[in-house]
Amino acid sequence: MKKKLDVEKMTYAVLAIACFFIFWWFITTFTPAKETTPGPVEVIQLLFTSFFEPIGSHVITGHLLVSLRRVLVGFSVATVLGIVLGVAMGASKWAEAIFKPIFELLRPIPPIAWISLVILFFGIGEVSKYILCGIGAFTNVTLNAYTGAQNVDPELVGCARMLGTSERDIFFRVVLPSCTPQIFAGMQVALSTSWMAVLAAEMVGAQEGCGWMIQRGSDTLNITLVMVGMIVIGCVGMLLAAVMRVIERRLCAWNIMES
Amino acid sequence: MSDEIKVKVSHMTKKFGDLLVLNDISFDVKTGEFLCVVGPTGCGKTTFLNCLTKLKAYELTGGEILINGEPVDLQKHNIAYIFQEYSSFPWATVEENIAYGLKVKKRPPEEIKERVEEMLQLVGLTEYRSYYPGQLSASMLQRVSIARAFAVQPELLLMDEPYGQMDNSLRYKLEDELIQLWQRTGTTVIFITHNIEEAVYLSQRILVLTNKPTSIKKEIDNNLPRPRDVTDPAFNQLRDEVTDLIKWW
Repeated sequence: MKKKLDVEKMTYAVLAIACFFIFWWFITTFTPAKETTPGPVEVIQLLFTSFFEPIGSHVITGHLLVSLRRVLVGFSVATVLGIVLGVAMGASKWAEAIFKPIFELLRPIPPIAWISLVILFFGIGEVSKYILCGIGAFTNVTLNAYTGAQNVDPELVGCARMLGTSERDIFFRVVLPSCTPQIFAGMQVALSTSWMAVLAAEMVGAQEGCGWMIQRGSDTLNITLVMVGMIVIGCVGMLLAAVMRVIERRLCAWNIMES
Repeated sequence: MSDEIKVKVSHMTKKFGDLLVLNDISFDVKTGEFLCVVGPTGCGKTTFLNCLTKLKAYELTGGEILINGEPVDLQKHNIAYIFQEYSSFPWATVEENIAYGLKVKKRPPEEIKERVEEMLQLVGLTEYRSYYPGQLSASMLQRVSIARAFAVQPELLLMDEPYGQMDNSLRYKLEDELIQLWQRTGTTVIFITHNIEEAVYLSQRILVLTNKPTSIKKEIDNNLPRPRDVTDPAFNQLRDEVTDLIKWW
């Protein structure tokens, strides 16, 4: 039964993508948009050739790996810091009193707004790009970890305490597992935000990466290259989200089965 | 049941601001005894348990509670608490839930395995050992809580209306299971309920509480033979006696 459902879902997904490409082809063949916008065939052709012919200093996989490294480093560091701060704020009134006002003040500022300041302090090297990706992820993870830790069922904490669990162990045995699903939800959003941030970061003072590629396409009016960059980012983003879901299924099997 | 005193409550008084909730309550619970506490809804039964366990950082306004002659210490005294709500850890399987208390108490792995196996059999959840709480029915969830509580072989088991949300047939079944477990383990049980029939069915002694400010209206010894029959005239007589004591209409 489940297998049949999966096949059905897959069929719909393939059909939806096929429809998108047909629509794109139609617009770029039969409407005035054909003058300015490349069609799917051109874009896919360039995508394939870019695996062998370098764009700037790298072929497309090189640019992709550079961006991926920036995203993953920034995202990983931000996730660890976000979980620590979020759970601390949710579980301790003192931590909440100290850190929440600063966090609330900085939270609405988008990563792009930090570009100038980060470059001023850390230069145009790799560190500033990691930091910008990290800023994007940090807010989402912290906020979700904070909400998760705040909503831990007090009865479960009471139950653990009654069974002799020490206060330190309650944190690791009850609070942390309780907020794991919410932390994962935050990480999913954080990953997308990190991608957005890396593109912005690579558009300023970079010589490689997907963001640089799009910027170069834009500067040289090569819209096909811009679209290749967009498709690559879309595909990798989708792949990373799928990987996250697999990890979530492993770590939060109970939550998925419940829902 | 021995004559040794397990829990000694002396002049227990609890105020929330100016509101007097528990008013000078004193009673003893003997080792291995099954005590039921009944009273009108909202009379402070749960507050009493919270004072006993300090779960919600409740400090007594007056009086004291001693277990084995010492002030309550959750790290030292082996106490288990079964809540009205199902309080299984949702991220742990049935067997992980049952093993939780044993792991916290750092019992050897062989003992944990053995105890978990025994409890799974006792509560009839062997087939469901790898299920998560979200996949279980209400009765199974309460069985998990009971198995987890008994697994640590508590010296004192506190139960706060554990079957309050269940229908009668399920409640009867779980009550019988509880009696079997209690008879087998000899654990001291304080069982809080507003269901008089349940109190008469389970208890060796019934503590009837008044409305707020709560005090003890009467202590009744329940010497009805087991297994008990809810249609037995003696059972009904005792039930009516307790009902007369708590009715406010």
